[in-house]
Formats: sequence, structure tokens, C-alpha cells
Amino acid sequence: MDTAVHLDGITKRFPGVVANDNVDFAVERGTVHALLGENGAGKTTLMNVLYGLYDPTSGRVLVDGAERSFESPRDAIDAGIGMIHQHFMLVDPMTVTENITLGNEPEKWGGLAVDRAAARDTVVDLSERYGFDVDPDARIEDVSVGEQQRVEILKALYRGADILILDEPTAVLTPQEVEELFEVLEELTAQGKTIIFITHKLGEAMRAADDITVLRDGRNVGTVDAAETTREDLAELMVGREVILDVEKSPAETGDVVASASEIVVEDERGVRAVDGVSFEVRAGEVFGIAGVDGNGQSELTEAVTGLELPDSGRIEFLGDDVTETSRRSRIDAGMSYIPEDRQDRGLVMDFDLVENGLLGSQHTPEFGPNGRIDWNHSREHAEAIIDEYDVRPPNADATSESLSGGNQQKFIVGREFDRDPELVVAAHPTRGVDVGSIEFIHERLLELRAQGVAVLLISSKLEEVQGLSDRLAVMYEGEFMDVVDPATTTEEQLGLLMAGEHPDERATGSEESPQPERNAASGGEHA
Amino acid sequence: MSVRDRGRAVLERLVGASATERILISTAALVLSILVGAVLVLIAGRMTTCTANEAVYYFGTGFCYDPIVVFDRLFLGALGDPFSGGWSPDGQFSVTLRETTLLLFTGLSVALAFRAGIFNIGTQGQMVVGALATALGVLWVSPLVSGVVGTVLLVPFGIVVGAVFGGLYGAIPGLLKAYADANEVITTIMLNFIATGVALYLVSGAFKDPESAANQTVPLPEYAQFPTVLFGGRQDFSLIALAFGILAIGGLYYLLEHTAFGYDVRTSGIQPDAAEYGGVDAARTIVASLTLSGALGGIAGAMYVMMVLGTFQTGFPDYGFDGITVSILAGNNPLGVGIAALLFGVLKSGTTVVQFATDVPPQLVGVLRGLIILFVAMPEFFRLIGKRVTDAGSKPVATDGGRPGGEDDE
Repeated sequence: MDTAVHLDGITKRFPGVVANDNVDFAVERGTVHALLGENGAGKTTLMNVLYGLYDPTSGRVLVDGAERSFESPRDAIDAGIGMIHQHFMLVDPMTVTENITLGNEPEKWGGLAVDRAAARDTVVDLSERYGFDVDPDARIEDVSVGEQQRVEILKALYRGADILILDEPTAVLTPQEVEELFEVLEELTAQGKTIIFITHKLGEAMRAADDITVLRDGRNVGTVDAAETTREDLAELMVGREVILDVEKSPAETGDVVASASEIVVEDERGVRAVDGVSFEVRAGEVFGIAGVDGNGQSELTEAVTGLELPDSGRIEFLGDDVTETSRRSRIDAGMSYIPEDRQDRGLVMDFDLVENGLLGSQHTPEFGPNGRIDWNHSREHAEAIIDEYDVRPPNADATSESLSGGNQQKFIVGREFDRDPELVVAAHPTRGVDVGSIEFIHERLLELRAQGVAVLLISSKLEEVQGLSDRLAVMYEGEFMDVVDPATTTEEQLGLLMAGEHPDERATGSEESPQPERNAASGGEHA
Repeated sequence: MSVRDRGRAVLERLVGASATERILISTAALVLSILVGAVLVLIAGRMTTCTANEAVYYFGTGFCYDPIVVFDRLFLGALGDPFSGGWSPDGQFSVTLRETTLLLFTGLSVALAFRAGIFNIGTQGQMVVGALATALGVLWVSPLVSGVVGTVLLVPFGIVVGAVFGGLYGAIPGLLKAYADANEVITTIMLNFIATGVALYLVSGAFKDPESAANQTVPLPEYAQFPTVLFGGRQDFSLIALAFGILAIGGLYYLLEHTAFGYDVRTSGIQPDAAEYGGVDAARTIVASLTLSGALGGIAGAMYVMMVLGTFQTGFPDYGFDGITVSILAGNNPLGVGIAALLFGVLKSGTTVVQFATDVPPQLVGVLRGLIILFVAMPEFFRLIGKRVTDAGSKPVATDGGRPGGEDDE
């Protein structure tokens, strides 16, 4: 068959790190090829080499059989390669058409003006040809995330891309939008385009790709036919050993209410209600999950609970005390652990070594900082214990957290927060970017804490995670709880609809009325 | 390898340099700056006129200024000519140490604020306020004591007064930043003007020494000034003050590295979001570190009054602004401030020696000083820049903006 892209023996070194180690990677024309691997496996680096963002340390890049050397993405685009980044590069106040043609606008009057009509026609032609559902005149800020992604794809096609690279395209999409994306990919390959699709999700690679190449630690550990492989095989390739994907969970033995929130409202800087009247309670020994697509107010709610942001109204109680306006430190001291969503900004000081990072949040406690003087020996033991127990690599307490891969950073944070002997653990995306083996370990530890009677507030956009771990599960959409359901009796499809802001008619738990603020307390708590 | 890649590789190399490498780089920069300076001296020497027997000859060409003499005076002269016999502790070497002592405190003042992520341009003003308060406070109390007892009581008293008033003056921009979100660069610069203006008003009016033409306070009694030890008194230097400065270096180092407060300060300085997450009270840390920074500036002022001038006089030298350079040169590290202050002290005191010993114009000596500082500071400066550039480079260039999924995938 015809090979569209061939990367031959690509090695890319960064100071102290080999991101790609002699990787061979070939993609057949007209297929969807998934590049699968854990975070830190080197997927994005490899694609950045292909897209001209990085010079490979050694190895050759062949496009359509000819060796190429790209100095910049501009060269790659000229060679027919387009890349759709995970973080969209669109101008919000401009229209779909303007965004697609930006930088390559059709001109008139000898280049003095943009031929808007011609631009619009081209965009309409393109989207009809590939069966895309986009409104050429809509502003980017008014369209859904899924549509923005289609605009990005159209932009690449407009620039003449034959080979499209999509970097983690599903991370920001609802399950329904993911399906739509996969249909788009099918249509594109049917018309001869070649797709490379970076992901760390097994299921998506199986579902959407023809071929799957698995990277581990910067090496190609196998290219397989998607139709002839299994999830278990792929997981084993990814982590190098068999993993159990299902979580086994004992029935919850719930105790007293540990934390509760009532009618929390948080406004963002524009005055928009990011959290709009949310109430819930978390009991000792239970996992209360909050599912939802990112950006629906989970972050703001989490920060209000943990004391990083003052809610505009509402009341938060922790261990029976009103903590709505108390300091972050007083909440840490009272036994609130927090695995933050943004580990590189919040959870770790990137320039600090792990000894210092293990202290973050505990620097004033009698255990580590008696009389304001830090006990560095004890801090070192503490950091080394976390490294050991949570298998942080490299096992070096003197390494700066910046030098660790994302997954290892996360394991260190999780270890630090779990070892605090907490009453409540607020875990925001605790396994994001973590390898499969560690995910399993973190899940087990989380359930162990639950068995010990710790209350857990779990915020995650990974459905299988929140569904598998939670005893009660709230779905958040546009700042409100759509519903609080029993995750064991709710299907993934029902949750997907809730996440998209719709109430599934066939929902097992009943009620079909539209969401009202007072519903939020449905299975939640007494208003304090 | 493209030029861009090579530039990036150099930056990465700099960012990853070990402590030993950094010292080597700084030393190499110092040597290089002297070589470049020597060329400048030669060129300037060709462009002026002098008699044939005043000139020196290199490569068969005559030059009016001799770079070897210039740099010999600048460095060895500042050290009091240790290799030529007749070295006296009361000579030029004590001038160097006097400058070093004062720069040490202003350098530490700036460094502490820097570590907390605050750019304190106000050390100068805090020093003026501390100096004035020390002078007035000591003058007010001095009639009550005298003799050795007076020295033992008044010198520590003067330092405490300087520290307290400098600290209070530093707390003002701290409070403004913490609670009114006022940029400290602006407020501290403005407070410098206010300090100078108010000091001028007071010592030209109510507190003016009636017997002096200058705007100054009544001189402090002899027993209220720093006693000299080992080094004679002619150059206004006291070893006790230097010892106190070295103690301050150790103290600040301990504070930053071994206390919970220091941990809070360092965390806030490099990653405020993480500090907030770790329960650090941002407002309190800002106020506390600027107060402490101001106190160190105030102590510099107290030293200047009780060791050098013996009175408060308007037209205060720019030790506070020099402290900014000292701190940057030292990478804002208290231990480094000691070395940087010494280098600065040598250059300051050496400048006057060069002027006495040669015909080289003072402007040219200023250029040489500037070159040395520029060269020595540049590697650190590029390290700071390099950190940013290579940070951006190590995260895949804008491929995934840290959003859900694989923000660390590379």
C-alpha cells in the first residue's frame, strides 16, 4: 500500500531526557492511525517533529516517499501536513470563515482587500464536501467546542492538508461530540485524507483507528491492526504488563456528614455565574463524585470548597464548622487534603525539589515546622516515603519537580495529599495524565481511604473513573448540578446526555422536569 | 543546526549549569570584561595627547593610558596594595570594606524582597528614613549615657531604631501592594522621593545643626559611634559593623532556607499560585517581607550615620540603588550578596585610587566599572531569560495548552 508518512529512526533528545528513541512510524494513506501511549510516552514530541516544531536529533522524515526537512510548521503546511492542537488556536470574536481563511485570505482589488464572498464560498464548499456541520457566519465564541474543533480541521483542509494530525482531540468533548468527531474522521479518510490521532485512551483508539501504534518511554513498542487487537493487549503494550481495568469496590459504610456546601454561587471575573447555586454533602466513608465536561464550573466549585476562592454566596461547612470564609491554611490544618486540577501551577513548585514540595501545605504544622523552624531531615524522610510508596520515578528526592514527567508529578502530589491523614480528600482529576498502572494504584488508595472512613469529593471528567469510584454521582453542567444519580444504575449514555445538559427521558431515576436550582439538593443536603 | 537551535542549546546549557560552573562562568566573564576594558583604555589613550615620556608603548605604539596600571590600581589599589609592603589596615583596604559593609545590607534588603517576588526599589528611601531616625534617636538619648557604657548601649539602640523605622517605611508599600494591589515598583520609587524630601525639610529646619553650613544634624558624640577594632579609625570603618553584616548574611540565609516563614517567602516568590494552594497567606507574606527588607535598608542607614558620617546629612549616596545591582549579581542569594558586595566595594573604592594615580578621566573609570558589572551579571541575566525560553521549549510548543488530557506529553 501507499505510505503517506514515514518517520525513520527518529530520536529526539532534550537535556537529560530522550523523548523519542529511534522510533519508526509509518502511516498508510487514507487511514486513521492512532498514536497511543501514556502521558510522557513521547507522542506529541514525535508529532512535533513531523510538524516542523522540533528538529529531530537523528532520523529521517519522509512524506509521500520523499525525505523532507521542515524548519517550521510553515514548511510542514506547505508539504500538506496540518495539525489540530488540543488547545484550539482560534480567534474568538471572529467568524468561522474569518478564522478558517486567516493568513490565506482570498484577495481582490490586487491584494488591497479580502474577498469575503469568495472566502465564504470556499468555506461553504469545503464543509459541504466533507459533510461538516458548521455555520460560516457564526462567531467562534458562540459555537460549541465540537464545532470549534471542526473549524480547526477545516482550517487545515483549507490550507491544503492531506495529512491531519489531531492532538488528544477528544479531551474537551462530550461523548456525543466524540462520536461526531469519529464520523468526521471516517468521512475524511473516505475522501483520501490521512489522519494521525494522538490519544492515551484505549477505547478511542480501538473505536476510531484502522491501525494503532503504541509508544512507551519514547519507543515504538508495536503497531497493531485495530480490528485484531483487544483492550487488554493494548493496555499491556502501553504499560508493559497486564492491568486490571475494573475497580472492585466494597459497599459504602457511610458515617457523619464531613463537608457540605449549600447554594454556592461563584461568579467569574466577567460576572458570569460559573457556579450557580450548588448544594451537596459528603459523608465519612463515601465517595461523592462530580462528573462533567471541563469548564462547567467544577474548578470554581472545587476552589471554593478548598478555600482558594471566596464564593459570592452560599455556605460551606467542614466538620460541623462554617468555613465559608476561613483561610486555606486553616482548612488544611483541619484535615482537608486537596489534589489540585493544575498540578504545575498549584500542586507543585516547579523549581523546588521533592523534599521541599513534600512540605507544601505542611510547612507550619508541628510535625514539619515546629516553632517555625523546618525539620529538613524529617521532610526528606517524608518525601522519600512518598516516592517509595507511590513509585515516583526517578526515585530521587533531590530532583526538581520540573524534571519529573507529568504522571510522576501527579503521583507525588497524590502521595503527599493522601498521607496527610485527612478527614476529607478533594481530588480533582487525580489520575489525569497518569499511566494505567498508577491509575489503578491511585484508585485503590482512594478506596482504601474511603474504607477508613475518609470522605472523598472526586471531580473528574473521565466517566469510567467517576462512575467506577463514586457512591453518589452529580453531573455538573453550566454551573449547576443536572442531577445526582446512583452511578451503579446509570448508563454511560445517560451520563453523557446529562453532561451535555440534556435530561435523558428514559432515565432510571425518574423525574423529567428541567433542571431547577432546588433540584440540586435532591440527594444532597439540608440547607444550613 | 540552525542559529536558533544553537542559541537555545546555549541557553539550556546555562540554565542547567551547576554551582561550580556558574562560578567559573562568572570568573571568565570578569576576565573577559577586563580584556575588553583594556582595549577601551588603549583606544582612549590613543585619542588623547601626552608627552612622549608619559606614554607607554605596546606593540611599538604609544598610548597615553596604561591599562595594566589602571586595573592594577582598580583592584590592588582598592585592597591597599597587599603585595607591595607598607600595607596598613587603615589604608584603602578599609575604605573597600566600609563600602562592602554598607552594600551588604542594602544588597540583602533587595535580595529578600526579590525572593518574595517583590521588586523593592525603595531600599534607598528606607535607608534614608532609617538613617535619619537613628541620628535623631541617638542624639535624643545620648545625653543620658556616656563613655564605654554609652557605646555599648547607643550603637545597638541606633541600629534597632534604624531597623524599626526602615521597616515601617518598607511596610507602607507592602500594605499598599497587599491590600490595594498597588504596584510596588511605583510606590517604592515615589516613597524614595518622599523620604529624601522629608529628610531635607527636617534637617534644613527643625533639626539643623546651627553651627554647620550643610544641611545636617548636630554631630553624634564620639561614644555614640561604631568603635574601631584592628582597623584604625581614619577611614570610618569598623570591623564590628562588617561582622554584624556577615551575621546578617547567615541570619537571612537561615531565615530563607530553614524556617517556615522563609519557605512561604520563597514559594510566594517563584510560584504564587502554589503558595496560595499551600496555605500561604499572600498578603501577610508581602507585608512581612517588605517590612524586613525595609529594616535591612534601615540598618544600612544606621551604619552610615554611626560609622561613616557621625551625623545625618542630606545628599545620601546611592547605596540603596547599588543594592539592586548587588542583589542581581548575587542571584538574590544571601551568600552571594556577600561576594557581590565585596566586588562592588572594591570597584567603588578602586575608582578613587585610579583617579589619584593616573590621568584616566573618571568617566572612563566609570565605563570600566560598568563593563565589569555588566559582564559579570550577564550570565545570570541570561539564565533568568533562558529559564523562560527553555520552559516554553520543553513543553511542546503550544500543541496542548495544558488543557485536559496530556498536558505533559512530550
